[in-house]
Amino acid sequence: MNAWLYLHFPHLLLDYQQALQPPEAAVVPTALIQTRARQQQVVQANLAALQQGIRLGMADVLASTMCPQLQLRPYQEAQEHRVLTQLAQVLYQDIGHLVLTPPHGLICEVRSMVQLHRGFHGVVQRLHQRLQQWPLRYLLSSGYSPLAAQLLGWAGCPVVSEHATEVKQALWRLPIECSGLPAEQIAKLRDVGLVTVGALLQRPRAELGERFGGALLHYLAALTGELIPPQSPYHPPDRFDEKIELVAEAQSWPQVMFPLKRLLQQVEGFLESHQWSTRGLLIRAHHRDGSTTQIKVRLARPTWQQGELLQLSQLHLARQQLTQPVLALSVRVLQPEPRQAVATSLIAQPATKTDELTGLIGRLQARLGEHKVQQLHTAMDWRPEYQGQLQPWQATAGQPQVTQRMPRLRRPYWLLAQAQPILRQQWQLQWGPERIVSGWWQADTIQRDYYIAVDRQYRQGWIYHCSDGWFLHGWFS
Amino acid sequence: MAFPAQVEALMQKGWLWQGQVAPPQQTKQQFISSGWPELDEQLGGGWLQGSINELQIQQPFVGELALLIPVLQRVQAATLWLNPPQQPYAPGLSYQQVDLAQQVVVQEADPKLALWAAEQALLSDSVQLLLMWHPHLSAVQVRRLQQAAHAQQKLAFVITPWQSSEEARAYVNRLQLSRTEQLQVRLLKRRFGWPLPPFPCSVDKLLPRRRRIV
Repeated sequence: MNAWLYLHFPHLLLDYQQALQPPEAAVVPTALIQTRARQQQVVQANLAALQQGIRLGMADVLASTMCPQLQLRPYQEAQEHRVLTQLAQVLYQDIGHLVLTPPHGLICEVRSMVQLHRGFHGVVQRLHQRLQQWPLRYLLSSGYSPLAAQLLGWAGCPVVSEHATEVKQALWRLPIECSGLPAEQIAKLRDVGLVTVGALLQRPRAELGERFGGALLHYLAALTGELIPPQSPYHPPDRFDEKIELVAEAQSWPQVMFPLKRLLQQVEGFLESHQWSTRGLLIRAHHRDGSTTQIKVRLARPTWQQGELLQLSQLHLARQQLTQPVLALSVRVLQPEPRQAVATSLIAQPATKTDELTGLIGRLQARLGEHKVQQLHTAMDWRPEYQGQLQPWQATAGQPQVTQRMPRLRRPYWLLAQAQPILRQQWQLQWGPERIVSGWWQADTIQRDYYIAVDRQYRQGWIYHCSDGWFLHGWFS
Repeated sequence: MAFPAQVEALMQKGWLWQGQVAPPQQTKQQFISSGWPELDEQLGGGWLQGSINELQIQQPFVGELALLIPVLQRVQAATLWLNPPQQPYAPGLSYQQVDLAQQVVVQEADPKLALWAAEQALLSDSVQLLLMWHPHLSAVQVRRLQQAAHAQQKLAFVITPWQSSEEARAYVNRLQLSRTEQLQVRLLKRRFGWPLPPFPCSVDKLLPRRRRIV
């Protein structure tokens, strides 16, 4: 059984950079260059560039002569490593044992996942599905040892099969140059006529060891899977704070939507792997002078789904003016919390209704501001302005109704935020007085006589008399 | 009912529209009783499900909320209050068995954002009733809200001062409220009939009893 899969991303950094741009940008031939042996060489190229005849390892001068509109950018190793880590975070949702093999590969252990994903092909399918979200070019190869899978991936002749024999056949045919051994070692092997990996494996081990040293024996043991070199498997981090460098400066929010979508995709992966949800995000746009524009996205209910996060983030961003161009974008997850089982009821209808209500409130709060969306709140207090208040809406709306313990009294439907002084002679008293004396334990003591009264337009008001005079406090209407 | 034979023939064919009778294909539509029999009768059965209605008020607090309380009591899902003139007072509403947990109050001064919120509420499945206070809605805005309300089968009320112009609007019903001793309702426009002169509506049942202290 082939217990290892190797994922090879030959153009990882370039593909990733293109994923952050709108799809139109992929039409322009682009390549990444790196200094190798005192020469600038093409190390990664996009499809458009490959179609124009650009090959990897080509000198930059030659490449730009062949294809004048070719865009060249320097290759950055640190950035590619960061991309690889982000990718591992995404794949960690499906594969438990992942090993990063920089610069652009990932090793996955399959055996422990076979049960979960229903067989070897289930695992492979799962990986393909997951990687479809990313427009990356990749090779997937299987192997009975990590090294065997890697060699097939590097050589560009991947074998995806459950059976070790097929891998073995492909491996034996590989030329010795693709063995991954140091160059001088390869030269020596070539000199004695061992031109394929198969030829090397056929020779008796002891003789090979005598002639070429212990390092080769270690290599052979790793290749056949007898010995697996120590690995440091990937562990997802406990916090999420990722940054994306934009390829070009962005002047407006719509231009950063693509990178933001990617980041939120990672947020979902991060939250999914921990079985967490979040109540907030911090989006930062980094400017040229080192300053940042910070946008705090607060959520009415904890969530982990990228679609919802994106929608709310967009509404939040629309409220904020972008004053300077953006060079980089970062997202931090605030207040992650373990997911709580949604209280399931036998009758599904009301549960989904409240769920949708919190969704609506979340959208309204995101666009209008939190304090503008309010709910009615009641408290155990005799003072009218404390008994019923408007408060910013919170997800924990299922609070016990306090009013049931208060005697039910005839109260107006409207309360004025600030009581209005009135002229007594314009009102005709109809009912009252009801004296309310309360609040002596706070500085806000009241002593009022309330009446229901009718004004000259026959409207019913709730008015009171206190030591300061007559006031209108509410309306029955 | 005795009509001349020619008129009778036209009625048989369904070519004659009678102002007072709801057309048969419309009667199946769902009405929500307004809670006031005299008003229901004039509206053809109550508020039409999936409609936007206008309440023009002579002054604020003339009795418009009392008129709507039966609907508030009846609605199962949430109600959105958009830009109410004062705070809705929880103890008063809970006295009338209005479910406080279902009331969402939004205050937004920017008219564009307020309309956006109204539309969001109408498009959401969780909100059944929209109460919106607005000084003057344009014909295009009303049409847009009416379309949203109709598509989602929501009930919406726009409470606005008496409008001076008689421009047409896409409201299903337009009511003008004024008060003498009782609340007077004048129907400026209704779905199944002519406009009607003011008639009294007994909303004072839901208000404290009026009497004089001499």
